[in-house]
Amino acid sequence: MAAAESPSAALRRRDLCSRGIRLAGKMRADVVDLLDAYVEQQGLDASASVAAVEGVPLAAVERWDEQTGTQRLLENLAAYRAFRALLAQMLEEQREQLGEADTGLGRALAAVLLQVSAFAYHLEELLRLESRGIPGEEGDEEEEEDGPPPPPRLSLFEQKLRGLGVLRELAQWAVRSVRDLRQLAKPSPATGAAPGLAESS
Amino acid sequence: MFSRWNWVACAFYLVLSICSPDASSGLVQSCGHIIPESPVLALGSNFTALCILNESCLDFGNIYASQIIWKIKNRLVPKEQYREINRTVSSVTFNDTSSLATPLTCNILADGQIEQNIYGITVTVGLAPEKPKNLSCIVHQESRFTYAMTCTWNPGRHTFLDTQFRLRYRWPEQIFPDCIPKDVNNSCTIDDSQFFVNTEIWVEATNALGKAVSDPLVVDPIDIVKPLPPQNVSVTSGLLPTVLQLVWENWISDAVMTLKFNIRYRIVGDTNWMEVPPEDTASPRTSFSIQGLRPYTEYVFSIRCMKEDGVGYWSDWSEEKTGITIEDQPSKGPPIWRIIDTSQSPACWTVHLIWKALKPYEANGVILQYELTVRDKSSLSSPVKKYNVTSTNYTLQLREGTYEVTLIARNSVGPSPPSVLLIPASNSKAPVKNLRTLPKHDKLWVGWTAPNNYVLKYVIEWCLMSSSSDCIIEWQIVLGDVQGIDLKGIKPFKCYLITVYPLYADGQGSGQSVKAYLKQDLVTVDPSKTEYTLSSLTSDTLYTVRMMASTDNGSRTGPDFTFTTQKFGKGEIEAIVVPVCLAFLLIVLLGVLFCFNKRDLIKKHIWPIVPDPSKSNIAQWSPQVPAKHNISSKDQMYPEGSFTDVSVVEIEADDKKSFSEQDLKPFDLLKKEKSTSEGHSSGIGGSSCMSSPRQSVSDSDEGETTQNTSSTVQYSTVVLNGYRDQTPVQVFSRSESTQPLLDSEERSEDHAGGADSTPQRQQYFRQNGGQDETNTDRPCFERTKQITHANEGDLVGFVQLQISGQSSQPLGLGMEKNTQEAAVSNVLQTCTEGQTVRAETVEENPLSVDEMPKSYLPQTVRQGGYMPQ
Repeated sequence: MAAAESPSAALRRRDLCSRGIRLAGKMRADVVDLLDAYVEQQGLDASASVAAVEGVPLAAVERWDEQTGTQRLLENLAAYRAFRALLAQMLEEQREQLGEADTGLGRALAAVLLQVSAFAYHLEELLRLESRGIPGEEGDEEEEEDGPPPPPRLSLFEQKLRGLGVLRELAQWAVRSVRDLRQLAKPSPATGAAPGLAESS
Repeated sequence: MFSRWNWVACAFYLVLSICSPDASSGLVQSCGHIIPESPVLALGSNFTALCILNESCLDFGNIYASQIIWKIKNRLVPKEQYREINRTVSSVTFNDTSSLATPLTCNILADGQIEQNIYGITVTVGLAPEKPKNLSCIVHQESRFTYAMTCTWNPGRHTFLDTQFRLRYRWPEQIFPDCIPKDVNNSCTIDDSQFFVNTEIWVEATNALGKAVSDPLVVDPIDIVKPLPPQNVSVTSGLLPTVLQLVWENWISDAVMTLKFNIRYRIVGDTNWMEVPPEDTASPRTSFSIQGLRPYTEYVFSIRCMKEDGVGYWSDWSEEKTGITIEDQPSKGPPIWRIIDTSQSPACWTVHLIWKALKPYEANGVILQYELTVRDKSSLSSPVKKYNVTSTNYTLQLREGTYEVTLIARNSVGPSPPSVLLIPASNSKAPVKNLRTLPKHDKLWVGWTAPNNYVLKYVIEWCLMSSSSDCIIEWQIVLGDVQGIDLKGIKPFKCYLITVYPLYADGQGSGQSVKAYLKQDLVTVDPSKTEYTLSSLTSDTLYTVRMMASTDNGSRTGPDFTFTTQKFGKGEIEAIVVPVCLAFLLIVLLGVLFCFNKRDLIKKHIWPIVPDPSKSNIAQWSPQVPAKHNISSKDQMYPEGSFTDVSVVEIEADDKKSFSEQDLKPFDLLKKEKSTSEGHSSGIGGSSCMSSPRQSVSDSDEGETTQNTSSTVQYSTVVLNGYRDQTPVQVFSRSESTQPLLDSEERSEDHAGGADSTPQRQQYFRQNGGQDETNTDRPCFERTKQITHANEGDLVGFVQLQISGQSSQPLGLGMEKNTQEAAVSNVLQTCTEGQTVRAETVEENPLSVDEMPKSYLPQTVRQGGYMPQ
């Protein structure tokens, strides 16, 4: 399978990886900025501890070194799809709370949401290059259905806290994604990734 | 008959159908319609329209498709383009829609002649949009976090239609809202562009005739960014005098893109930028030290940036910042020279030491002082003398001898290398050879041939030779390997004395001198000629000409001859004087023309009209002037024979304008009367309010009034008398009044109390009106009115008056006796303005022309003669 990877596919893969790394880097920077703005805007304590957000795989993982390329991509994709849904929900809540008046925070949230979408697209493209089936959107929808149901039950404060948790987790995931993509972009693991893919499947 | 009614009904129906705004929904239906309704057509294509007549209309008359005519605006479409499809449908075809215009109407020729409109459509002709080309985008960084992507494209040809352009862009899985251009059709700006994802961008152009889509542009917006230039640039001096450090902030985060930079700098006042080698600044940074700068020099810096990999656009240059390098020691000693004055005594020198201030790039700072050391080399025992000087010259009194002068310039950092000048007791060394000069534009080149020995330096002295002032020496030192320099600041046509001294390590050569001009015309003239014209001289300048005759064995100059050029060249004076004279003449001419045009006005102001009896034309009243007008209605009212010898004065008070016209009549009548009567003059005209009889007639003829004769003049009244066959009695009545002629008009109230005029007026009106005894104080107008009214009623009285006047003791005569001098004249003088005088006289025996007196010379007043009123 590794032998099947054509030079153009390898080039494409490298391009996607490097672009994804830079996107993740920018996303990280933007999310850090957004976190400061969000904490200030929502009147939260920056040091407040937040419980793990439901539906988002944890960025911290044991035996990260041993993960296959496909595993990495799939975990990333799952995480970013979850983030996409959560950020969309946050944006909606934000608009409900503050209307269109607070365009600064809303715009920043929308920008991060777009970056999350773009990164998810990068991951899908990489998975496609690995000749892997992409988890269907229905699965995504299921996740969304699993995840979003609680919102109506959350109080305003809980919403704010959850938003803080989402952004923190996203910041961490951005760091991890950069590392994952760097790992994928390494020339040697490309050959190693193929058996890994086979294993994971 | 039936057919006619049918047509009328049809026409009525058609009119109704035209007038109906909405035929389909209204009561009245249109007689037809056109298919297609208001089409939009491609320019140059062919087009067919159908006009379909309603069946219902056919019932009103013989309306068939064959009667249909098509019109574009009001222009008939040639019948060759029609086609009758069936009884109710006619088509028209246009091979080229460019010949179409709005409206296209379907009309019918009712009764073969009456044209009725059936229907009309609006035709819009245009072009389908072209495929937009040359789509390109650039992402402008607008602030630290915002980036706007502006895309531009070539919209293609003008379509003549409302064409909408929209910029569309998408990610593979996400379509963004369209960007719709505002006010333009070739660019649009997307406010929020996201990086690191390839974005597909394209333009769609749409109008009624179609849609065109540009080729897509696929680009990651990060690759087309034009970042903001670095901000908060500052320049700081380093520890070294040749280094400045530039510090700035980048407004684009490293997470978005890493940057490379260009740094440029120049010396303040200089225009040429220098650039730091790009490879030195090709990596992300926020500061840079620029090296190799001059000490104590102010530099201007600016910086720009772009994406590190070189993909994208350079930012604009940042704002310029200046910084000054710190001082350094002067890089060289000042050039020094001396002027030795031995005029007091050869053994005692006055040595003027002079040196030049260092140039800024040599001084490397502010020169605080010069340190001068003088060592007497002829006696080793004599002490070294040191002087601290702040100016650039110093004068010493020295004994004749050999001296070594050392000069050091010092700034805050330290001293310069010393400049050494050896002053030998005598300039015994070899001089330069072959000293020569050559003018080069505005510089004078001085060249020489080096002596055989090694020369350290040369000193070139030059001064402007002037008889009026001392030679002010300028000088310059050049190195020993130089054998020629350009002297700057040399004035043309001035004589300079140039001296060159070679300086040796152990002494000084004697100076060689030459006189030179930057500009002088040295003309070699053929010996056979004895004259030469100097050209290109400046005006008003003193020149010296020296003639030199040369043979093979040598030359000899003649005496100097000086002359001054004229201030104005040949023809310049003429060029000034001639236009001035012409302008003067033109002004005079214009003035004369103006005076000529306004001569009447001027004449009235300067020369008031003085009656000239010799030119009086009372004669015109006489029969020699033919009547110009028909006899007025009054003549008809009183036909000949009704009564005789009646003079009627009819005076109407009216506005002033009316008089001018009405006055014509009585005077014409007067003329006629004069021409036909035997001298029966009413006398009214002769004693008018005018200054003279002539005036009264002429002014009346012209419908003018003479108002400006205010000077004191004498005036007279000449009255012709004579009745029928009797010898005319000529009466000359002369007034001695000095009253201004039109005073009565200007001050009518004065007349009321006037001693001269009032009684006469009273009498006058008494005679004529017969009733007007109480109105003497009234204004003239009122009185004349009354007279007018009384005219007809008092005709008898007039008759009596006339008759009695003719016979023995007329009332008029009595009046004449009493007041003959001014009566009539004053009355009429008072009343000229605003009266209508109508004299009617019935003459049975007109006086012949020959019998009429033509002169106003004083004539005998005969008792009993008729006195005109």
